[in-house]
Amino acid sequence: MKTSAAVAAGQLISFLSKKLGKGGGSAAPGLYALKLERDLVAKLAKQIPQNIIITGTNGKTTTARLLSHLAESQNLKVIRNATGSNLERGVASALLSQTNLLTGKLKPFDLGIWELDEAAFNDLAPKLQPKIIVFLNVFRDQLDRYGEIDSVVKRWQNSLQQLPKSTTLIINGDDANLLKLTNSFKGKIITFGIADKEHKIAGEHPGSATKLNVQAQNIKAKGLAGISFQLSITNYQLPITLPIPGIYQVYNALAAFSVASLLNLPTHQLVDTIKYFSPAFGRVEKLDFGYIFLIKNPTGATQVFQTLAPHLKKDDRLFLALNDNLADGTDVSWIWDANFEFIRNSSRAKSRENTIYISGNRAYDLALRLKYAGFNPKQLYINSNLQQAFLHSRAGLKGQLFILPTYTAMLELQSILTKQGIKKKYWEEN
Amino acid sequence: MKLIIGYLYPDLMNIYGDTGNIIALKKRCQWRGIEVVVKMFSIGNKMKTGSADIYFFGGGQDQQQELVARDLVKSAKGKVLKSEIERGVPLLAICGGYQLLGDYYRPHQGPTLKGVGLFPAFTVAGDKRMIGNIVVDSKFGGLVGFENHSGQTFLKENAQPLGKVVKGFGNNGEDQTEGCVYKNAIGCYMHGSLLPKNPALADWLIQKALEVKYGKVKLPKLNDQLENQAHQSAIQKFS
Repeated sequence: MKTSAAVAAGQLISFLSKKLGKGGGSAAPGLYALKLERDLVAKLAKQIPQNIIITGTNGKTTTARLLSHLAESQNLKVIRNATGSNLERGVASALLSQTNLLTGKLKPFDLGIWELDEAAFNDLAPKLQPKIIVFLNVFRDQLDRYGEIDSVVKRWQNSLQQLPKSTTLIINGDDANLLKLTNSFKGKIITFGIADKEHKIAGEHPGSATKLNVQAQNIKAKGLAGISFQLSITNYQLPITLPIPGIYQVYNALAAFSVASLLNLPTHQLVDTIKYFSPAFGRVEKLDFGYIFLIKNPTGATQVFQTLAPHLKKDDRLFLALNDNLADGTDVSWIWDANFEFIRNSSRAKSRENTIYISGNRAYDLALRLKYAGFNPKQLYINSNLQQAFLHSRAGLKGQLFILPTYTAMLELQSILTKQGIKKKYWEEN
Repeated sequence: MKLIIGYLYPDLMNIYGDTGNIIALKKRCQWRGIEVVVKMFSIGNKMKTGSADIYFFGGGQDQQQELVARDLVKSAKGKVLKSEIERGVPLLAICGGYQLLGDYYRPHQGPTLKGVGLFPAFTVAGDKRMIGNIVVDSKFGGLVGFENHSGQTFLKENAQPLGKVVKGFGNNGEDQTEGCVYKNAIGCYMHGSLLPKNPALADWLIQKALEVKYGKVKLPKLNDQLENQAHQSAIQKFS
């Protein structure tokens, strides 16, 4: 009875939130339904044959999306929290939206793919009873919210001890902090990583190398078009073409393939499937006039700068936006650990003194960071109003516009783009 | 002219974005034609009097902080720092670095960590985390940053605070003091990074370093329009 009432309330809120145009109903329905029924997630998730959790600091959304792209190509029915809503309410909302109001039964699915943030993992792992857990990496991120890396890892260790031996862990073997998880877990462990030394991305504290069960080698970056590599996985050597740029994306692809292989999907058939992958909104998004790359912590941002710098052309423009809302992290100190010098040292920046557009509610902090990275303050257009700054950045644009926002700035930009008819509402995207 | 910036334990005490302080010191010297070398001092490195002209010490995680506390005593870096500060060498220590330069740090569990005893202050583990933007009124004018600590630092009698808390928690969330000043050494809880947005404080450190090394020096003014805008907009936003 309680469950049906919670489901009904959740669906009503979802309906209203979509009608009122407040969002896609990706968090609020779950939040309210959870108030009525604390065990909602456990009760509904139990009806899914296999649940998979993806957690870590960077790459959760892209990995979840990659994996569901692979699974759906094999006609598996997938349910997931799609819009980066990676707290319990996001999981509850996703489940609610697929539940029959009268029977309280979830529609039939083969696979639940759940991306959870570093903290939500600990609450939700016991409720979801996952068959597979993927740990992508652990970098310093929003210390105001998650705390220090050591304590994040310690809490993960405690949570893992409570899980049954039948669970399989898939972890990034190049991140030494994650290897600490292997001590506290008794089930099967699969490690993935990059074999090429020059491309390996080490964790916050480099440690000794571990044996990699799934690995990438012969990595070749293909500009902004993507990246190719040789995948070695249980009896297969497969050539992979990933249509998104950035070495860090190789780790996300390795994680997705590791899960796919464990689910006995025909790995060799997925080689073609992956070529047609399109990433999640704002993560690395191709627009008609440029790209959006989400930046949210020092490691992630530096990787984006590194990926972009060689491809910035003379007429291209940069638009950076820094917010300090709760979902961005209220501490903007992290920008001083992100290597903006990479953009400064790109050939474009050296050859010309083009304007860089800077916005967000901490626009001045960001502008200052760029000054100290070596940009001339005269090159900086600063306007904390996102819409105005965005319009300016597009006026007379001849090349491409590269938009690098933090999370809530990215959401605001999405709605600006939607209002201008440039793109669909993000919750309507697949 | 040339200044050596001594960066203490950058590999272990570096997670709170405090590196911006090094960037600010370096750039503000270079823009004035002062040559800069950043020298790292960590576990295994030797440090002696005169090794650097300004010292910087940032914040780290608990486990790393323990390693550093032990090394400060064992390698005698703590002693060297004390004698450097006595001869007027400037230092900036933030958060964990600030705590380790006090008398001691007493955690919830486990043994008390002995500090360097440079700042007349001591720190005890608190129950709540003090997180948020902080604005302080000081002799350098308004200072703005971001604090994130659970340790409560208490100043001993006659110790001089860096300033009075206008917004935020400060040393302990109780007595409205923030930071500590001893000779030309400053310890405080302000991340942000602190110096880029508070250029007056950055220049004071540079000035003191030059005075110790070269005698009275007049520091040329820089165009700080952007620094001041960032400073003002943050103070307005948070006060």
